[in-house]
Amino acid sequence: MTFNAFLSLLHGAGVTVSVSMAGIALGVPFGLVLALLRWRRVPLLAPLTTVYVSLLRSTPAVTLCLLIFFALPVIGIEIDALSAAIATLALNTAAFNCEIWRSGLTSFPREQVEAARTFGMSGTLIFRRIIFPQLWRTCLPALVNEMTLLIKSSTAIAVIGVAEITRAAIRIGAQTYDPLPPMLVATGIYVVLVLVFVGIQRLTERLYGQAGGAR
Amino acid sequence: MTEAATETRDPPVLEISGLTKTFGDRIVLDGVSLSVARGQTVCLLGPSGSGKSTLLRCVNWLETPDQGAIYLSGERMGIRKGGVVPMGNGELARLRMRMGTVFQHFNLWPHMSVLQNIIEAPIHVQKRRRDEVIAEAEALLENVGLSDKRDAFPSRLSGGQKQRVGIARALAMKPELLLFDEPTSALDPELVGEVIAVMKTLSQGGSTMLVVTHEMGFARETADKVVLMDAGRIVEEGEPEVFFGRPKTERARQFLQRYVSA
Repeated sequence: MTFNAFLSLLHGAGVTVSVSMAGIALGVPFGLVLALLRWRRVPLLAPLTTVYVSLLRSTPAVTLCLLIFFALPVIGIEIDALSAAIATLALNTAAFNCEIWRSGLTSFPREQVEAARTFGMSGTLIFRRIIFPQLWRTCLPALVNEMTLLIKSSTAIAVIGVAEITRAAIRIGAQTYDPLPPMLVATGIYVVLVLVFVGIQRLTERLYGQAGGAR
Repeated sequence: MTEAATETRDPPVLEISGLTKTFGDRIVLDGVSLSVARGQTVCLLGPSGSGKSTLLRCVNWLETPDQGAIYLSGERMGIRKGGVVPMGNGELARLRMRMGTVFQHFNLWPHMSVLQNIIEAPIHVQKRRRDEVIAEAEALLENVGLSDKRDAFPSRLSGGQKQRVGIARALAMKPELLLFDEPTSALDPELVGEVIAVMKTLSQGGSTMLVVTHEMGFARETADKVVLMDAGRIVEEGEPEVFFGRPKTERARQFLQRYVSA
């Protein structure tokens, strides 16, 4: 494997990381919004959320990606491959994140919310000051787990020509007739990426896991 | 004539009239009327399931009563002027702010330190100045004997300490009325005393308190009025000497036999 091949793998890793991060940055808050709609039983939107979650959870990322990239232009929305890739990952992970946030919300101690209400705190204030600071800590391990799944499933975006890690590895293997080295390197990169995420989670848990440190 | 008389007099801090609440087909409160005058300590006694806690929850509108009315210093709770339209959340909050509640299971916010628990609502709900609120909170902590726990988190406190923080948190709102929902029932017996001591000081200091409790000693020594509830109704109310010494009803006699001798 040449140095250039290695560079193109690294470039692929850069694409995987940036597309994944964008997907996470959009999908985690979007999932929280969905979860809140269901949790507060907002009329009309809550049942729509339920449908969204079950549809998205049962659609493979590859299929979703193709759908977004090739079907949206049919209804007049032009979308480039990179945006389609990010949209795919964000929409997909949001469905799973919604379920994580929602289970955190439903298991949140009622008494704490009631106490806040007797002190005259409004719904948004209660969410911002009482619920969310605790919620994200309980949900963090599951969210990070979903993030690592997202990184691994991000290879689905190769189907619309985005040169992420796996696609780069396949192309190098095809050029050199020696698929083993690029595949091993690709695997190594995935492992490192996931380990970094888990490491960040551990660190965050150690810093904020104790009741202390809330602000 | 009675109109004029009520107008000149200060309205009681809490006035409950004809309160009814059902859960499904179970009647939890059945026409309860009760008033707490300024500076009074009223103890609500009664077996579990008699509706005491539900009554408290109705007072700060955590439960919506089916019938009857609640007045906080003359202002109708939960229902707008005119008597039909339920209050919005903002209006409810404005009234709730004027009462402080102490819970059986403390309900402190575990992600906040003792001080943060106390200053949270005064700063974010009452929008008072932070430095001023902190100074007051420190004074309150001193009063309940927990100055050294200022920066501790609730998980590091004993039950009695948690409840004293709960009381300080309620006091920080400078409430007109303090509601206590079995404040010592979740405590180890040897920790009950420290909480009772704080409550006694408050009562003697002129706080207006409605206390649901099983602590007969506290009721006998501190209350201005004792109210016995059973099956959603008030069966007897009166001054503690009379209630504990010469109860008028058979139900009160039964109750006292069971709770005081035990």
